[in-house]
Amino acid sequence: MNIIGRCVRITGIVFICFIAIIPFYVLVFFSLNAPPRVFYEGNIIIPDFYFNNFTEAWVSSNIGRAILNSVIITGGSLLLLIILSSSAGYTIARFKNKFNKTVFTVLLTCMMIPGIINTVPLYTVMRSIGGINTRIGMILVCTTNALPFSVFLYSSFISSLSREIEESAIIDGCTWFKAFWKITFHYVKPVTAAVVILNGVSIWNNYAQAVFFLTKRDMYTIPIALSIYFQQYAGAKWNLMAAAAVLGVIPVVTVFLLFQKYFMKGITAGALKG
Amino acid sequence: MYLLRSSLSRNLHKFMAVPAFLLFSVFFLYPLLRGIGLSLTDWDGISSANFIGLKNFINFFKDERALNDVKNTVFFALGSAPLLNIVGLVYALMLDGNLKGRGIARAIIYLPAIISPLIMGYIWYFILQPERGYFFHILKNMNLEHLMGNWMAYYKSAMWMLIIVNVWQYAGMTMIVYLAGLQSIPLELYEVGKIDGAGYFSRLYYITLPLLIPSIRINIVTNIIGSLSVFDIIMALTEGGPGYSTESLSIYIMRMCYGSKTGYSTAVALVLFFIILIPVVLSLRIMNSREVERI
Repeated sequence: MNIIGRCVRITGIVFICFIAIIPFYVLVFFSLNAPPRVFYEGNIIIPDFYFNNFTEAWVSSNIGRAILNSVIITGGSLLLLIILSSSAGYTIARFKNKFNKTVFTVLLTCMMIPGIINTVPLYTVMRSIGGINTRIGMILVCTTNALPFSVFLYSSFISSLSREIEESAIIDGCTWFKAFWKITFHYVKPVTAAVVILNGVSIWNNYAQAVFFLTKRDMYTIPIALSIYFQQYAGAKWNLMAAAAVLGVIPVVTVFLLFQKYFMKGITAGALKG
Repeated sequence: MYLLRSSLSRNLHKFMAVPAFLLFSVFFLYPLLRGIGLSLTDWDGISSANFIGLKNFINFFKDERALNDVKNTVFFALGSAPLLNIVGLVYALMLDGNLKGRGIARAIIYLPAIISPLIMGYIWYFILQPERGYFFHILKNMNLEHLMGNWMAYYKSAMWMLIIVNVWQYAGMTMIVYLAGLQSIPLELYEVGKIDGAGYFSRLYYITLPLLIPSIRINIVTNIIGSLSVFDIIMALTEGGPGYSTESLSIYIMRMCYGSKTGYSTAVALVLFFIILIPVVLSLRIMNSREVERI
């Protein structure tokens, strides 16, 4: 490639990175400004570095509790999701009986239906089993949402693996059930990574359903806690609103940057299958 | 007893889909069927439900707010999809191939897509507020503040702002799908093109785009399906306002449910379901034809 073309391309890439990142800068900028700041006077780049916003927002928004709830709900859902969808994917890929075929067809048909369609009648189910305002209830809802796509990923990956990896263990007297957990489960690690990454993000960010099922302050997840906090100020205290949002964004951005390589691989794998 | 247990443990592998299916039945299939039943009643969430036939659906098509929500939802989806694909494709073309630091650049561009659309909406609220927002101050520094409008206060500009924010947030996601598609194009084709004297743009037009058609179709359909259930971003940026003018169907469902029109809200959900079914059926057909192409 010629030098001019290369320069144009690099400038373009820097520009689009800039576009992607500038709203984050704006958020941090607002979160670091002192309350009475009049930033009309030319300076819109360097904030006041007023860190008190964070301590005040931490206390008044109860965001710490919300982060804890989000961690528990996301972690619990992913754990349950991996156990259920990997074992279902295994039996669907390996043993083609009537039941397994039916399950797979039903899941594939429902894969594209978004959760919001079901949320109102689901609310009545949740109420009758006492699942409203419980983390375990929300875990079950989030796991269900993610089941079809995860089962699909696991089963198509396991179909591509040779049966021989289990058969040697079967000869040694192992059951097919044990062979999966002892052997196959280690082979499907790339799928597990993709499942965790793709669904982790959407469970972590779930708002449309959490707003129905988590209505008590102690149970709020990050999106709910922030939306309540924002409505409370109705646009008055931007420094505190921005500080709370920064606190709410930090965990997911940190995890993303730390595992950036795996993230991009997992997303690509999911995109190829989808 | 021992025999029974051992035969069970030997056959356990046949039942490994049972737990997943049980969960899915209780939290998805049963509510889906129950929703169809509830949509034929006047249930308010508390007192007993009366069967009223198709009245909820008739009321839906008579309600101007509801029809406007259908229009918004479809407009948002059909407006977002082409823009997302153009932007995502341009990004992918720029970041394809060997280049130092492309991994980091891809991650940066993808970053907005991992943030909750609700929080993203709030960030853009800070940017776009008239008189106080960040964009206003940028313009003011350049003495261009008269260009700033109160975009969230008018229906048309508010709809376009929602679309632009959505495109900005998810361009990275579309980019990834295109990057995967670009990787599957054999490099020799480009070499042949070069030898034949084709420049960058004619190679793009005659080689890259035709071979990307499967990715393009999949991207457009999945973008439309995703955008049809839009909720968070509208809640954060306009709350459906001014009035109810930018409300989407999923927000309408929630508000009707809280407004003790539970039966009616399940009917609205079914309408949304049928709207989403159109691109879903399309996507299944595309995927099937893709399988055929492979064979």
